[in-house]
Amino acid sequence: MRETLGDALLLAGWVLTAHVALFHLVTLLLVLAGARRVWRNRNWRGVEGHDETFASPLTPAVSILVPAHDEEAGILDTLSAALGQKYPALEVVLVDDGSTDRTFALVAERYALREVTPRPTADLPVDGEILSVHRATTGDPLLVIRKTSVGRRSDALNAALNHARHPLVCMVDADSLLETEALLQVSRPFVEDPDNVVAAGGVIRAANGALTDRGTMLEPRLSRRWVVRVQVLEYLRSFLLGRTGWADAQALLIISGAFGLFRRDVVLEVGGMDPLSLAEDAELVVTIQEHLRRNRRPHRVVFVPQTVCWTEVPESWQVLGRQRTRWSHGLGQLLWKHRRMIGNPRYGPIGVLALPFFLLFELLGPVIELIGLAAVVTSLVLGLVEPAVAGAVLVLAIALGILLSATAIAVEELTYHRYGRGRDLLGLMGAAVVEHLWFRWAHSWYRLRGLVAALTRRTPVWTAMPRVGFSGAPASAERLVPAGS
Amino acid sequence: MTDLPGPLLLTSTGVTGLVVLLLLSVGGAHVARRRGERRDAARRAELTPLVYTLLDGEQTAEALADAPAVLDDVVLHLLPQLRGSDRQVLRDLLVARGVVDRASEQLSARAPWRRGRAAMLLGATGSTRHTPDLVTLLEDRSPDVRSAATRALGKTGDVAAVPDLLAALTTGRAVPSGIVGMALLDLGTPALPALRTALDSGTAPARALSASLLGLHGDLPATAALTAALDDAGAPAEVRLAAAGALGRIGAPQATGALARVTVLAVEPALRAAAAEALGRIGDPDSVPALAAGMSAADLRVRTACADALASITPEGRDRLRALGALDGPAAPAARAALDAAPLGSARPLAGAR
Repeated sequence: MRETLGDALLLAGWVLTAHVALFHLVTLLLVLAGARRVWRNRNWRGVEGHDETFASPLTPAVSILVPAHDEEAGILDTLSAALGQKYPALEVVLVDDGSTDRTFALVAERYALREVTPRPTADLPVDGEILSVHRATTGDPLLVIRKTSVGRRSDALNAALNHARHPLVCMVDADSLLETEALLQVSRPFVEDPDNVVAAGGVIRAANGALTDRGTMLEPRLSRRWVVRVQVLEYLRSFLLGRTGWADAQALLIISGAFGLFRRDVVLEVGGMDPLSLAEDAELVVTIQEHLRRNRRPHRVVFVPQTVCWTEVPESWQVLGRQRTRWSHGLGQLLWKHRRMIGNPRYGPIGVLALPFFLLFELLGPVIELIGLAAVVTSLVLGLVEPAVAGAVLVLAIALGILLSATAIAVEELTYHRYGRGRDLLGLMGAAVVEHLWFRWAHSWYRLRGLVAALTRRTPVWTAMPRVGFSGAPASAERLVPAGS
Repeated sequence: MTDLPGPLLLTSTGVTGLVVLLLLSVGGAHVARRRGERRDAARRAELTPLVYTLLDGEQTAEALADAPAVLDDVVLHLLPQLRGSDRQVLRDLLVARGVVDRASEQLSARAPWRRGRAAMLLGATGSTRHTPDLVTLLEDRSPDVRSAATRALGKTGDVAAVPDLLAALTTGRAVPSGIVGMALLDLGTPALPALRTALDSGTAPARALSASLLGLHGDLPATAALTAALDDAGAPAEVRLAAAGALGRIGAPQATGALARVTVLAVEPALRAAAAEALGRIGDPDSVPALAAGMSAADLRVRTACADALASITPEGRDRLRALGALDGPAAPAARAALDAAPLGSARPLAGAR
């Protein structure tokens, strides 16, 4: 009996070790591929042709879609940033999704809204009732739709899609600030390759702690909260390198809901946003790619790492937990819905690379980690494994994790170096170590809860994140220079 | 697993050492970069006034031949913003400093970014001397270099490159149409004859792009060829779509009949909507019946485009919209919304000569 138990525990230990090693190996390959691409892009800096894109009449107009529910803390900053984009032709479609705070009142006052007759351009199903449609009378290309909330961001986005007029749609969260040239940069692939590019995403960075002024990022700064710092590092790894690597492999699965640009006709063709999915952004990207691949239509989903959208990230464990549980639940829904694509060569790198990776490491990772960890602890208690061995494995896993983070920090510093202050850089380095003390384990726990929610088919619940708004800064003349300019 | 501590510890130590080395390098790079930026800013501040004295004729290019390399960045930043003699002065300075010759040599460099940057630099100088080299790069193995060469050809202003640029749309190593389009627009009106030729006899992508560009230029002489392309039911959909858009931009009422036929009779909703939009731009009252007929289309895009077009034709179109808005049926909401969104006052007069 003891022998069988010992064999089982040993097997579980080996599975955990293999899982950790394989995860780090794949991630390291992705990070290196991403770093290579980012490094190459650095060599082209200054000759990308952004001024030509801005001046070109061929540049397609963009509808920026902003779903908002109780966003009074930052909505005016978000709209200022969206309307202040350096872009030749755009409109902003804000959907006030049943806000109970002053979101609409603030916007109505700032932009002197006037009610107009709804003028739909598409007829995607929307569950919430459209209450009224308003247009700015200040000269800003702003349309505001008021609707009742059904508790789903996707419903608000579908309402916005129904009123968007332009060939490209950019989905932006209501707690996000676009850099002045963000739209110009992310739209470049559409301008250059209009026949094939169907979606493009940019980098999302945490705005918490940064100095902003009326929607303009003045100086990126690292928050003093470790829970935020660790997320900054996580976003760096994930966006700057991970997604760049996936995009290079033609296997980009996720374009963040906080900032993504899509061809409107293709989004309408697949029926808009899935109303029941919690992974709206990833769900849309996968659905588009599945649809186009099945119909053998050439397409490209690209990632533009120099494009930046600043967003608020959770500042408390409770909110972070809810967010990550929801993400994991959404991932579970997505993988189940598109299960036929997993491992299927018909769907190219998405089918054989990205989806299996997300299934094995993102969705099932916490389960394997939990079982493996329990096996190691039991083995230690029963004396089946020497403490030195367990300790060595743990140290190696942590060292590999820190190596990934250090690579991300190095690439950030050598390419975009958004954080000008040395202390912010030190903070990031500290976060790379601190992350493994608690964040990693807490994150696994949240993901596990999300997986359970997905397996038990729990009703999806979209919970709004409490907002604190963006940090203000004295608007002295010398400060009014946007970061990155 | 009991035999593992040794190798594991060794690996852990190696990885940890790597991490420490990486983080130390990052710190060093941060400090070095900050210093470098300050040094470059100081040099730029020092050299920029010298460039202005050169442009004012108070300095010669030879006098700046040995200035620090950061001067080239200052000049290359200014170059696209200047025209005429000022541009020539800066071009001479780059030649005197050997920048142009070095870029010419870099066209065959191994690294794609070197070839691409060299192409862009040669394009920025506006010289046609390197056109054949840039045309060769249109077939480069790197897509980034092909794009850079395409943009550079647009900057040179050499219309002899138009056929090569259009051909680059369909070669084995094709250049995306957006980049070719921007380059052709950069070449300006001298490229129009070649574009008219391509509209008649080019490949489908070349015909579609030519049609779009002729429209953007508002090229009235191309109206007949564009109308023929629109009317040709056998023509590729992309060509007909581009022709419809172009006719609207040109604003030629001669095309009203063809556009009205397409608005009512075409099968493809996107083409019908594009034709309706073009009719709205032209603003010819003769198109009101066709647009009103389009308001009963099953496709929402077509109805919306027809409604918007009618709203831009005063007073006939708006009168018809009011009548449609008062009725029941799918046309009514679109009619009311278009009237609500239409600016007060009269719409534009007919854009082209009858």
